[in-house]
Amino acid sequence: MIESVSASIMAPTGPRRLSLGWESAHRPSPSGRVAFVSDLSPRPRLVMPLAEHVAGYGRLPSGLTMRMALDTLRASNLTGRGGAGFPFWKKLQAVATAESRKSPVVIANGSESEPLSKKDTLLLKNNPHLVLDGISMIAGLLGAKSAYLYVKDREAHTAVNAAMRERRERGISELRVTVVEAPAGYVSGQETAVVRRIAKGPALPQFSLDRISTSGVRGAPTLLSNVETFAQVAIVLRFGADWYQQGGQGSDRGTRLLTLVGAVGRPGVYELLPGATLAELLREADAGDPRAVLVGGYFGRWVDLGTPNSTNFPMDDQTLAERKLSFGAGIFGVVGHDTCPVVEAAAITEYLAGQSAGQCGPCMHGLPEISTAMARIALSSDVERGMHDLRAVIPLVEHRGGCQHPDGVIQLVRSTVGAFAEEVKLHRSGRCTARGSHTSVLLPPGATVAAGAVVR
Amino acid sequence: MRLVIDPTRCHGHGTCAQLLDEYIRLDKWHYPIVGKQKVSAGHADLLMRAAQLCPELAISIVDD
Ligand SMILES: Cc1cc2nc3c(=O)[nH]c(=O)nc-3n(C[C@H](O)[C@H](O)[C@H](O)COP(=O)(O)O)c2cc1C
Ligand code: SF4
Ligand code: SF4
Repeated sequence: MIESVSASIMAPTGPRRLSLGWESAHRPSPSGRVAFVSDLSPRPRLVMPLAEHVAGYGRLPSGLTMRMALDTLRASNLTGRGGAGFPFWKKLQAVATAESRKSPVVIANGSESEPLSKKDTLLLKNNPHLVLDGISMIAGLLGAKSAYLYVKDREAHTAVNAAMRERRERGISELRVTVVEAPAGYVSGQETAVVRRIAKGPALPQFSLDRISTSGVRGAPTLLSNVETFAQVAIVLRFGADWYQQGGQGSDRGTRLLTLVGAVGRPGVYELLPGATLAELLREADAGDPRAVLVGGYFGRWVDLGTPNSTNFPMDDQTLAERKLSFGAGIFGVVGHDTCPVVEAAAITEYLAGQSAGQCGPCMHGLPEISTAMARIALSSDVERGMHDLRAVIPLVEHRGGCQHPDGVIQLVRSTVGAFAEEVKLHRSGRCTARGSHTSVLLPPGATVAAGAVVR
Repeated sequence: MRLVIDPTRCHGHGTCAQLLDEYIRLDKWHYPIVGKQKVSAGHADLLMRAAQLCPELAISIVDD
């Protein structure tokens, strides 16, 4: 670990952004709470050198005990950035107290399987040292004998390797991180699929009566978190919970990275500072007058911007939950008035049905049926039957998969027919409010779906 | 006692539902839906047999 002088966690000043060093593109909004970090296809930038990284964030704390770390992480309210939003300290505590003869395993999940997401790859490419700091600290606290970084993107892989070489050359003694390539596919980032892949198996979800915190990679207690979560850990454990929380509102006061895509003037990766509202984010992204936002990614929920007060709220965990929303995988998908959100959701549903690992009956048979029902509704071909089929099939699929994949799809479908009930009604009479032709803005690039008769 | 079926292994052969028709019904794709009630002690042998006879070894017995 980087040698240090201080044994306690307190640092009243310093940067807390994750995008430090990507400054060429960094531009805070007028409110100062929304920072545009990068566009979606950034020119290759140099990885922040270690010396600069240490100059920017300071050294890692030494003499940190598990008790101190747990208290600090708990007070910070840091939640996971990979989708489920689970409190990080609880996960750490579960692994730390797991009864096992095997030493714990630490995994940073950088597979970023949401096709529209770019934040994890950009973090790894620009600021790999922050992620490695987080892994190093957590592995050290747990006394782990192995640590892995699971990545899909080739350039991110190269950046991480370069950063690790630099750390070794600088004589930093820390557990060596093994980089494992994540295969393509939406479910390859699911936690049990990751655990299987790390143990040299296929990247397919696995059913178990045990949690991975007690029995994960080859039966060892396993801590698996998203790469942004590890970067946040590196900040919280450096600067302390008070500092992390200062100046915000609500329950979650650190920054967050997100990917903003769709019908906006400036799509890209953004960093939200505490208190940032959806309105500020949309303004900063030159969204104009959009119709709706899909919050959280493909397993997310819609915000219909036609309803009053739909954007003036701070985007912290608690406020989002009060609005039945969640940050999810950190993707905000914006659709304009020339696009029908129901058609968008039908296309996404079809894509996700095709991503089933095909292991579980209800997922493998049920998702295509849900997708067909959504297509009937979206294309106004037989809305009545589509709605009837959704009601019949969803209970046969929900909570019956080996992983959360089908439940995520159901969440999207429910949110769509709930938020856009008026639109569905219009479809019943063969109409659709979409002004222009249906051009999907939220499908992954290159994806073809049968609803492609209208969605291209 | 409860029975838990690993959905990633189960291929919907339905043997379990035949043996344990009080606890398991099959959905329209012939995959088992396990009821919420616990398996009574009197049915322990039946449960054990179902677990042994499952061609995919997808059935676990959980004591709670
Ligand atoms: C189908 C599916 C795909 C997933 N893909 C990813 C992924 O690409 N990256 C990721 O960090 N988490 C992914 N997750 C969530 C992981 O299972 C896990 O909850 C997460 O990595 C834990 O990290 P966190 O606690 O930091 O959020 C996926 C979950 C599901 C159900
Ligand atoms: S629920 Fe679907 S995606 Fe998940 S393990 Fe089963 S078949 Fe695979
Ligand atoms: S016997 Fe096994 S494979 Fe067949 S339906 Fe029951 S659990 Fe599934």
